[in-house]
Amino acid sequence: MDIIVTRDLTKEFNGLTAVDGVSFSVKKGEIFGFLGPNGAGKSTTINILTTLLLPTRGTATVNGYDILTQQDDVRRSIGIVSQDVVLENELTARENLILHGEVYGMARREIEERIPRLLKLVELEGREDSRVKTFSGGMKRRLEIVKSFLHKPEIIFMDEPTTGLDPQSRRVVWDHINYLNKEEGVTIFLTTHYMDEADYLCHRIGIMDFGRLLDLDTPENLKNKIGAGDLVDIGFTGDGEAFVREVQEGCGWEVRSHEPGHLRIAANRAELSLMKLVRIAEETGVTIDSLSVREPTLEDVFIHYTGRAIREQAAENVTRAVLRRLR
Amino acid sequence: MMRVVRETYIIFKKDMLIWFKSPVVPVIRALVFPLLWIVIFGTAFGGTVEHIPVALVQEDFGAHAQGLVQELNKKEVLEIRKTTNYATAFRMLTRKEVYGVIFIPPGFSQAIGDGGQGRVQLSTDETSPQISSALIAHVYDAAGVYSDRVVLERRPAGGGPAEVVDPVVMEKNTVFGRGIEYLDFLAPGVVMMTIMFSAMFSGGLGVIVDREFGTLRMLMAAPITKDAIILGKIIAGVMQSIASGIVALIIAMLMGVELESGALGVLLIVLLMFIAGFGFIGMSTAIGARSKTLEQFMVMMQVIVMPMWFLSGGLYPLESMPGWMRVVATVNPLTYATDAVRAVMLRGIVWDILALDFLILISFSVVMFAMGSLAFKRTID
Ligand SMILES: Nc1ncnc2c1ncn2[C@@H]1O[C@H](COP(=O)(O)OP(=O)(O)OP(=O)(O)O)[C@@H](O)[C@H]1O
Ligand SMILES: [Mg+2]
Repeated sequence: MDIIVTRDLTKEFNGLTAVDGVSFSVKKGEIFGFLGPNGAGKSTTINILTTLLLPTRGTATVNGYDILTQQDDVRRSIGIVSQDVVLENELTARENLILHGEVYGMARREIEERIPRLLKLVELEGREDSRVKTFSGGMKRRLEIVKSFLHKPEIIFMDEPTTGLDPQSRRVVWDHINYLNKEEGVTIFLTTHYMDEADYLCHRIGIMDFGRLLDLDTPENLKNKIGAGDLVDIGFTGDGEAFVREVQEGCGWEVRSHEPGHLRIAANRAELSLMKLVRIAEETGVTIDSLSVREPTLEDVFIHYTGRAIREQAAENVTRAVLRRLR
Repeated sequence: MMRVVRETYIIFKKDMLIWFKSPVVPVIRALVFPLLWIVIFGTAFGGTVEHIPVALVQEDFGAHAQGLVQELNKKEVLEIRKTTNYATAFRMLTRKEVYGVIFIPPGFSQAIGDGGQGRVQLSTDETSPQISSALIAHVYDAAGVYSDRVVLERRPAGGGPAEVVDPVVMEKNTVFGRGIEYLDFLAPGVVMMTIMFSAMFSGGLGVIVDREFGTLRMLMAAPITKDAIILGKIIAGVMQSIASGIVALIIAMLMGVELESGALGVLLIVLLMFIAGFGFIGMSTAIGARSKTLEQFMVMMQVIVMPMWFLSGGLYPLESMPGWMRVVATVNPLTYATDAVRAVMLRGIVWDILALDFLILISFSVVMFAMGSLAFKRTID
């Protein structure tokens, strides 16, 4: 069953198309991820689905409710962990949770009943009466996550839930997300620009760039799409011309990229053909300096779709925004 | 309807809860400036008072009466309004149309002409000490000068000893503001100033801070109406301002400031704080919603708040200001708020005076509240 369905969702900010005709659906009970660099349009999509923004064009339903005409029903069905921490710093953890529950129309008794269990879940028991401003970034994140779950939503939207956390805190947050999904049956919609995070958490991933959804599939399928099997990186010295031709024709391997002194190929069960590779190198007078065989990561997937590594793009962001405006 | 009330209460409760965590700082912040300005400028800034409206009830038109009136008219200190009977003049005094009533009874000239004493009655409103002191000094001066002249004329041609009694005798009767000092005059202004300060700085600040820290976003994503968010925040701001205002009022009473009208007066003052609070919070919210940064907002507030305070009649009576300042003061809502509180504190409850103040203040607050809510709504749309 599809719990989120979007059709041709588009958002323009005076001439800049932040989200460009996006159509997809999210199944009930899955962890769904949007993967994309800065400015890809991830937050904008989430803001539209959570009724904080109106789309310029297109429609969507969340938990069966229309985001344009049934906003209150949508809001009651969802929890939100937004990109920036939005807790009341002066209030204690407990007061923050009570406020949240009341705003979502819960009875005070019900809120009080749920608080101890939720705080225990994220290991904040004993801190319920400390003001949130005394919390670390990781603690605040964890509090926000249980807060978003307090009113028992069907779906929780998490915008970059682990950005700014150290690796250990990220692990903890991942565990919480998995718990909510598996044990509590909550559908999770998250965004991230961490490949490993998307790979580890998500059942399905949408790759987003320039406001467009480039592909959407399971992590495995995405990896398979860029060429079944493994990636082989070869560093070498010598004339590459003949070497590369032989590798391509002789082994039937697919060349991914070729620069002087470096060759990347995709191959099925590459370890079986390594001897052959060494022989071709000898025959064409090339010395192999380094050799690595690895399974493709989502980083590779991203490069495949966008032609750039995800990290390079942070610096490019300004140029991109300008370019997009010109288009 | 019930829903908006419930949700408004939730937001209101939240903001009050945050405020109650550290109420001392905002209250002191609201009090510090008014008090500081009093200490610094309280004694330095004083104009001369001219054209004080005074009613003249003249029931004697003899030479001496006319002579005295001529003397009173000198130097343009008074603006004399001739009135036919005492009751009308007294009503004018009650309505604050004049600050004094000079009564020249029948037989005044006759008595002086016969070599005796003529009595003149001066009834005063001394709720504004600078005005009443200038008024009283001028009237007594005029009586003194005219007395001297009469004494000189009476001197026997042979140059015998001058008489010791003054031909013109002043009898003063303080109708309003008996025993009023500058502090009593100042207190109502400071109380309202505190309300304005507290409301102006907290109102718009709430919008900006919540916007920057994203708490507003959290509320906006919740199944709760925007009206409730706005209303809850504004009412909380008004209540916090009133708290500061009440502290100022208590300080004033502890310092011995008069309160003519008792418990009902206190109630009226709180009501005035409430109305003015809405107006100032609305104004501040409208500006806050349009300010891009906290600094921009703060600068705007200083630019607006300071002149409003100086030109409100809170520090010195409007009568002591040059013309253009007085024009500014008449369009300044704080003028009416201060005037109303001062009337309640020093004169008692006279609806003739209060009605106009209330009317203007309520209009101001309704307009500002509407503007503030709309501007706020636009920022969260
Ligand atoms: N309110 C707005 N007004 C104008 N432009 C906006 C607004 N919000 C977002 N944008 C633009 O839309 C584009 C997409 O922004 P969005 O925040 O959705 O990206 P993102 O994928 O969440 O990026 P990040 O990883 O940095 O959070 C960006 O170019 C951004 O500058
Ligand atoms: Mg984002």
